Amino acid sequence: MPTKNETVFTELGTRAIEKGLADPQLTAFYDSMMSSSGLVSDKIREHMPYLSLCSDKLIKNYPPPIFYVGRRSSQRVLFGEDWAMQQDQELKTPDPDLEEASTAAYRAALSGGPYYGYARASIDIGGKIVDIAFERLIIALRPSPKSERRFCAYFGVIQDLQQQ
Amino acid sequence: MHTPLCFRSEIHVPGLGNSVKQDLKTLKATVDERNLTDMWDMMLMLDYNVANADDLSPETREEFYGIISLLLKAFKE
Repeated sequence: MPTKNETVFTELGTRAIEKGLADPQLTAFYDSMMSSSGLVSDKIREHMPYLSLCSDKLIKNYPPPIFYVGRRSSQRVLFGEDWAMQQDQELKTPDPDLEEASTAAYRAALSGGPYYGYARASIDIGGKIVDIAFERLIIALRPSPKSERRFCAYFGVIQDLQQQ
Repeated sequence: MHTPLCFRSEIHVPGLGNSVKQDLKTLKATVDERNLTDMWDMMLMLDYNVANADDLSPETREEFYGIISLLLKAFKE
């Protein structure tokens, strides 16, 4: 019977991106956002297909709800079209254990600077256990200079994916 | 001779486009009320490259409606 392996989240820090150790597309997104000081500009447009966007509302031990899943984002690849297209309730990733484990990264991105890290986890997707390794960058952004609103942009890159 | 494929975006349901258009107007009022107008504008500009929701095609209008529905849930106070 398939079993879940231990979830490991390791913060690598954005210095790892600056040293050229991260995925090239993720690095390009990071460089764009750093050059616009955490404000949304036209530079984000080319990265939109790869992003998931969520609010800044951390509720208890869970990450903020998602409102946008890019057409080529890692979350859409992993969890599927049906998951990405649902609108009836708050959109969260389907594995509660992974949700809970990933909260600290969103908290860090919202209270400090951008979060960059590596994760290895077993995820329950509709009863199937999938072992996955991925890197992720989470950045808190403002939609406009005067806006009081913030939201989180998530750029995930799946490095390895295997079904048990 | 090949029969042309019928894509979802080519299926026209009379009245459906207008209904979504009206629903978007209602949704916009809620967005303004909840102080999320800048998020609405940002999504329109970045993902659809338009300044006004009326400029969206019927298909993208439906998609945008879905995003804004989730936006309101995500920023629920």
